[in-house]
Amino acid sequence: MTGPRGEVLQGTLDLIVLKTLEALGPLHGYGIAVRIQQVSADLLKLNQGTLYPALLRLEQRGWISSKWGVSDNNRKAKYYSLTRSGRKQLLAETESWERMAALMTRLLGRAEGA
Amino acid sequence: MKSLRIFASRLLGIFKKRKLDGDLDRELRAHIDALAEENMRRGMNEQEARRAASREFGGIEQTRESYRDQRGLPFFETLAQDLRYASRMLVKNPGFTAVTILTLALGIGANTGLFSLVNSVLLGNLPVRHPQELVVIKYTDDRSQQREEDFSYPMYLAIRDKNTVFLNVLTRSGVSFNASYGGQSERAAGEMVSGNYFETLAVEPFLGRLIGPEDDRIPGAHPVAVLSYGYWQRRFGSDPAIVGKNIILNENPIRIIGITPPGFYGTELSSNPDIRVPMMMATVFRPVPANRLQNPRHRWMTVLARRKPEVTVAQAEASLDILYHQILAAEVQELGASVNAHDKERALASRIRLEPGNQGFAHLRTEMERPLLLMFSVTGIVLLVACANLANLLLARNAKRRQEISVRLAIGAGRGRLIRQWLTESLLLSVLGGSAGILVAYWAKTALLGFLPANYSANIHAPMDFLVLGFALLASLITGLLFGLAPALQLSSTGVSIALRADSPSIASGERFFSLRSALVFLQVALSLPLLIGAGLFLHSLRNLRGVNMGFVKENVFLATLNPSLNSYPQERIKSLYEDLLARVRTLSGVRAASLTTSSLISGGWDQESVKVEGYQPGPDENMSPNAAVVSPGYFATLGIPFVEGRDFTEQDAASRPKVVIINETMAHYFFGTKDPLGKKIGTDDDPKAPPDREIIAVVKDAKYVHLSEAPRRHFYAPMAQEPRLFDMTLQVRTSGDPEKIGDLVRAQVRDLDRNLPLYATTTLEVQIDDSLAEERLLTWLSSLFGLLATLVASLGLSGVVAFSVARRTREIGIRMALGAQPGDILQNVVSHMAFLVALGMAAGLAAAYGLSRLLGSMLFEVGARDPLAFAGACFLLGAVAALAAYLPARRATEVDPVVALRCE
Repeated sequence: MTGPRGEVLQGTLDLIVLKTLEALGPLHGYGIAVRIQQVSADLLKLNQGTLYPALLRLEQRGWISSKWGVSDNNRKAKYYSLTRSGRKQLLAETESWERMAALMTRLLGRAEGA
Repeated sequence: MKSLRIFASRLLGIFKKRKLDGDLDRELRAHIDALAEENMRRGMNEQEARRAASREFGGIEQTRESYRDQRGLPFFETLAQDLRYASRMLVKNPGFTAVTILTLALGIGANTGLFSLVNSVLLGNLPVRHPQELVVIKYTDDRSQQREEDFSYPMYLAIRDKNTVFLNVLTRSGVSFNASYGGQSERAAGEMVSGNYFETLAVEPFLGRLIGPEDDRIPGAHPVAVLSYGYWQRRFGSDPAIVGKNIILNENPIRIIGITPPGFYGTELSSNPDIRVPMMMATVFRPVPANRLQNPRHRWMTVLARRKPEVTVAQAEASLDILYHQILAAEVQELGASVNAHDKERALASRIRLEPGNQGFAHLRTEMERPLLLMFSVTGIVLLVACANLANLLLARNAKRRQEISVRLAIGAGRGRLIRQWLTESLLLSVLGGSAGILVAYWAKTALLGFLPANYSANIHAPMDFLVLGFALLASLITGLLFGLAPALQLSSTGVSIALRADSPSIASGERFFSLRSALVFLQVALSLPLLIGAGLFLHSLRNLRGVNMGFVKENVFLATLNPSLNSYPQERIKSLYEDLLARVRTLSGVRAASLTTSSLISGGWDQESVKVEGYQPGPDENMSPNAAVVSPGYFATLGIPFVEGRDFTEQDAASRPKVVIINETMAHYFFGTKDPLGKKIGTDDDPKAPPDREIIAVVKDAKYVHLSEAPRRHFYAPMAQEPRLFDMTLQVRTSGDPEKIGDLVRAQVRDLDRNLPLYATTTLEVQIDDSLAEERLLTWLSSLFGLLATLVASLGLSGVVAFSVARRTREIGIRMALGAQPGDILQNVVSHMAFLVALGMAAGLAAAYGLSRLLGSMLFEVGARDPLAFAGACFLLGAVAALAAYLPARRATEVDPVVALRCE
């Protein structure tokens, strides 16, 4: 799944976006994209356009909400923020992601050991 | 909940499309602007910065597309697109559209109409609470295996009080009333019910109260009645004040205590009693025999029980059977020495059978099940034939649309998307057809109910409820898929290059030998032939029934029934009333003969009476109960039944004179062989020791008595004057002109004699016979109609295929003719393939009909299920129609002018 460019796994993007909004509070699409790029240190190559359908999907599920506002440099921008059920979802997904990661680590570690 | 919100948000997305698109554009522009600014801050010039920003962002158009997919409901949007396109196509081909929708409306309509009947007659439950807990209690005689449902009152009581498996056990029995109120009397259908009847069925009163256990304790002491909602509406104009008032039933004042709810008809779909009275009133309303509530040998009531929910039907049956045998054994014990061992054994050789009671006694259901299901399958087959035909039409149209398809494919349409669009088109057609079909269904249902005798159809409303509408929708969808799928698949398998190239019909080679279109023709023929054969069998059977020698003259006989005994008159008054009536009617102008009888011909019922015959020793279990009727002098003359020997009853055969009897030929042969029966005696007395005392004074020819299809029956007639008790009798009047016209005169005479005496069941003998053939007529008409319809549709399909192939081969035919082929050769060439297909289809149809026609066996009269006439006739008809259907378009091939044909491109 992860090529050399580090494409984003389906579903992972949701988690990343939720985590970003939790860490930084309300943010517009551009801000989210910049933050992801920073954090991943460009390991993760994201077509920024794909962010928007993901944002819509999260909003449809009620995990984030959006509001038009004014950005730092006085532009109109749509701000996304985490809702309460989004916070719950983030917790649940973080947990399941950690379980999965731990499992993969164990599995791969053993496979190498053999 | 969450998925609902997503759906709502997506649905909103469809409608607020423009605003949301604008929002998205603004958001994306802001994003790219921000990216570009960032780049400019890093030192790029504006143009570079913008280009880099776009690159980083990815495809804006893709983003928009996938955003829209996420936002809206792509499935519905595509559907809307397809529907728009499909409607445009349909409007552009009005002829095709009209034919298709009409075909579908007829096909789906006929199916839906029949389904509404199936739904209410075969699937409908009694309108009571938890009908699935109800069971009908029946028993079978071990030897005859015949199911019986009549119980005696003592047996009912024992079952009700000693069983451990039922919550409640009800019993009921029919009764007739002469009902008078406000100086007007009329006949009303009645029912005597046990005190727990309404409690068992869990029915609540509409007004007042219903009969309860406290109304059913002492014989003859509960003069109360409950009216049905319909009767209350009809007779009392829905007057609520009627509750508490008295009505006169058979000369007894009876207080009306309540009204049953609308829609409640009791325990049998085919009857709807107007008035219900407590069972204990049997001593008043059916006074003879006087001990009918005590004597275990009088079996006259039917029994329905509500099972305890935790008890299964099988457990209940097993448990009840044990109890039943204990009761029987006790009954036999009580009879003591008066019955011999053989009869005792026979009385015990019987077994309880429980049947589902969710439809009550379900007599109508039992009777109608086979004809209804048969007709339902027939309409199903007709719909299949129609589907095959429509598929063929679509295939022909596809051929014209090939170019369109290849262009679509060439510019990148997916095959799945194309199939989907084509299916949308056929589904749109079928749903339109189905909607029109609902109207057809309503009409068909009404027409079908009109075919049934009125007393059957009274309770069958067959409403167009959600189940029926759901059926119509489902039938439409399945139909649409059936006729749309094959053409859609075929169309989408068209190759781009082939289709683009093959845009001229002349290049297309001849049909593949067994193409899809040929297969459809084969299918239509194979399906239509069995329908035609079925129709032929029914036609032949009905013709036999109509042509049967009835043994009497059915024309110009007026019939009417009256029952003065219900008014509790003494026997002398009843007898003189009957005699006066006869004398008066005979003097009316236009009357050629008149007489009275206890049994009206071909009315569906008849009395049987056990006899002893002088000099005849019956074997064990021999049936010694011929049909019997009590008649007045002039009976045989009225009906035109000829005498073989002897004389008719006369006024001299009075009660005080020696008893006489007339027998029919079959009875004479059965008991006396070749010996002359005149002067011999038969006895009808219950007492086994009494010697036969009725002298045979005549032998008459046989007739049909109960139904036209019956085998010859033994029958004897006794004179009215010598009968100790008379009840209802049917007046039969032979007229010189139209028998209907005598009705009012007869009614006036009856009114004049006794104004409290309603005359009912007035009809003519011809109508009565016609009514007795209602089911046969219905089956014959419908099967003929549908058989011809299927044949017509199939031959239209065939015609279309031939025309199509001729059109495609015009150039080839031109070449052949230019090379010297004769018109005959061309015709043969064009038609031979079709002829082979039709022959193949007919062979398959014959095989199917041969296998299936056995199922009709018991519905046919004097026609073998493999009646060669029906088989040959159907083959001939279908063959002739098919030949004509193929010949007409094929002839066009022979008229091709080679020069024109070669130049035609």
